Amino acid sequence: MTTRPRAAGIFVALAATLFAAGAHAQSADSESTAVAPPDAAKQISDLNGQVEGMTESVQTLLSDVDKLKRFKFSGYIQARWETAETKNDSVKVAGSPATLTPANTERFYIRRARLKLTYDSSPLSQAVVYFDGGADRTIRLLEAYVTLLDPWTAYHTHALTVGQMDVPFGYEIERSSSVRELPERSRAENVLFSGERDRGIKLVDQWTLKFETVLAVMNGGGINQPDFPNTDPTRGKDFMARARYAQGTVDGAISYYTGRNTTPLTGPDVQTDKTRLGFDTQVYYQLPVVGGGSLKGEYFGGRNVNADSLKALIAEPTSANPVRLLKPGANPAHLATDFVGWYVMWVQNVGEHFQATVRYDAFDPNHDLAHDQFARTCLGVNWFYDGFTRVTVSYDIPKTDRALAGGAYDDPHDNLWTVQVQHKF
Amino acid sequence: MKRLIPLAALAAAGLLGVAGSVAAAGRGITVKGSDTMVILAQRWAETYMAGHPGSIVQVTGGGSGTGIAALINGTTDICTASRPMKEDEKRKLRDRFQSMGTEIAVAKDGLSIYLNDQNPVKQLSFAQLRDIYTGTISNWKQVGGNDALIVPYGRENSSGTYVYFKDNVLLGRDYSPRCQTLPGTAAVVNAVVRDPNGIGYGGAAYAKGVKDCAVSKDEKNPAVLPNAATVKDGSYPVTRDLFFYTRVRPAGDTKKFIDWVLSDEGQALATKVGYFPVR
Repeated sequence: MTTRPRAAGIFVALAATLFAAGAHAQSADSESTAVAPPDAAKQISDLNGQVEGMTESVQTLLSDVDKLKRFKFSGYIQARWETAETKNDSVKVAGSPATLTPANTERFYIRRARLKLTYDSSPLSQAVVYFDGGADRTIRLLEAYVTLLDPWTAYHTHALTVGQMDVPFGYEIERSSSVRELPERSRAENVLFSGERDRGIKLVDQWTLKFETVLAVMNGGGINQPDFPNTDPTRGKDFMARARYAQGTVDGAISYYTGRNTTPLTGPDVQTDKTRLGFDTQVYYQLPVVGGGSLKGEYFGGRNVNADSLKALIAEPTSANPVRLLKPGANPAHLATDFVGWYVMWVQNVGEHFQATVRYDAFDPNHDLAHDQFARTCLGVNWFYDGFTRVTVSYDIPKTDRALAGGAYDDPHDNLWTVQVQHKF
Repeated sequence: MKRLIPLAALAAAGLLGVAGSVAAAGRGITVKGSDTMVILAQRWAETYMAGHPGSIVQVTGGGSGTGIAALINGTTDICTASRPMKEDEKRKLRDRFQSMGTEIAVAKDGLSIYLNDQNPVKQLSFAQLRDIYTGTISNWKQVGGNDALIVPYGRENSSGTYVYFKDNVLLGRDYSPRCQTLPGTAAVVNAVVRDPNGIGYGGAAYAKGVKDCAVSKDEKNPAVLPNAATVKDGSYPVTRDLFFYTRVRPAGDTKKFIDWVLSDEGQALATKVGYFPVR
């Protein structure tokens, strides 16, 4: 778009000001000396020339600014302090399987330091590049995708995205960590969708303001897989679909995922099923004086390769026998197991600056097996310092069965305090 | 000791939060957003403060989009908007406040189509306006005017008027690259005053030195000029509500101010400024 009117406005204002100043000087001269007035027409002509020059400069500048406005930088930093319950346990971080850091019960660290660059090329296309630092990693590419919007509907309600992006499944995955009420996602999500992102193609159709469907085809490994991003060992691609109805105070979606998982062995690899069915719902309400609140829940069910089964059924290579094989008598079909995961969460805002959250999440990676379940209660308080910064204090109470001698089990002392300061820009 | 540190952090956060809330309570009511509504909101604020000694209402513009962003960021108590909130804006508000916000219609506005006084064109249909602003029609001769290139003027995309016009007149289509973007309704009016081939849109209250164009919704309906009667009865087809938005249901001083805006006195002031009462 051009900027002629704004420049013309500047011209008019400048001309009026300078001409008024000239007129004032002229008036003073006429009072004192009564000499002939200066050539006003020449002055205006000179001013015209100057202002035309300025107009060209301003037009160029505004054109450049218009291009720059197509770039949008955003991001956030999460600086964190963690302390576990006893010195005998390590601080746990998210992952699949959950990663135990070296013995280190208290630490400061950067959980997430993210920078996103969005370029709105035109009303019909957009490109995004998103980097992540923190969590003891080097800087890595988190997302990079191109979105094309359809030209045939007025509001461009069909969008095709190609590249590396969030897996379109459920509610938690696509919800930015910068807006989540608790520092980490549920265990089921962490295990089933480690890293939350993958490479592929996604079609989003906004059929009405309230109803949306998503179809996607992706490699299936996810960005935290060791092979990523060079190979897709399953060759066949994973398929996912989601339908969401967003009424406003009650939203809900159903998600489906199907694919194959490859367990590499010396010789033929083993292929197992990878299926996920998900339901999620969010209910919002308002309490007079206190503020808004919500109840949220999500369920994950299906079949997935099981980390414990891998340990139990596969003989890992050693220096004496450098091959990776199934143990004698092991059934490769048992590498994958039926799982169930879910969470329920209550969020209550208190006034403008506070928010309290309670979440209970559970994950059973093999519901034919006892003592492998994980459950956790998370309590959190958010204090919103301003529109960009918040402080989160959370307390996680995980419950797991640790095998003891004599067939007994106990729950290790691994409760976790987290204090996090986040600034979003 | 280790357990005390998070508790101390929590307590400190609580104390600072309470202190912040007290400080916020002392700063009065902040109103930010629509440039279309800025004059109206200022008049409401001035009159309200005059009648309620000790109360403070601070009004700034910036555009409806800017006001909604401020509402989401928590940097304004009331957002003024000349368009309804978009779904993604509601989602952002909900992410932070678990609330879809409270929408309150506070006045009505006829969105005038401004033409230069010398322009012989007197009326346009929605379809013609859409074609002019999307670039399909580029010469006044195509709509019964002189043989001259049409110069369409519009607002920046942070403007609620920009969004309203796009949604309701252009039916979501993108503006032509030929449309010249200006920072406020007054600037649009000034541009059309100076440009015999210009056309602009904006609040009826700003239409000084330009002529209003009669507008018809389609060929079956007559073209109608914006005035108090046609806006109030809805026969003028480009009529919109002007909104206040709050994060949650208004309470305290904010509620008192909004109640006053909706009172007979507040609504009479809206009429005096050039808008139309909402009830």
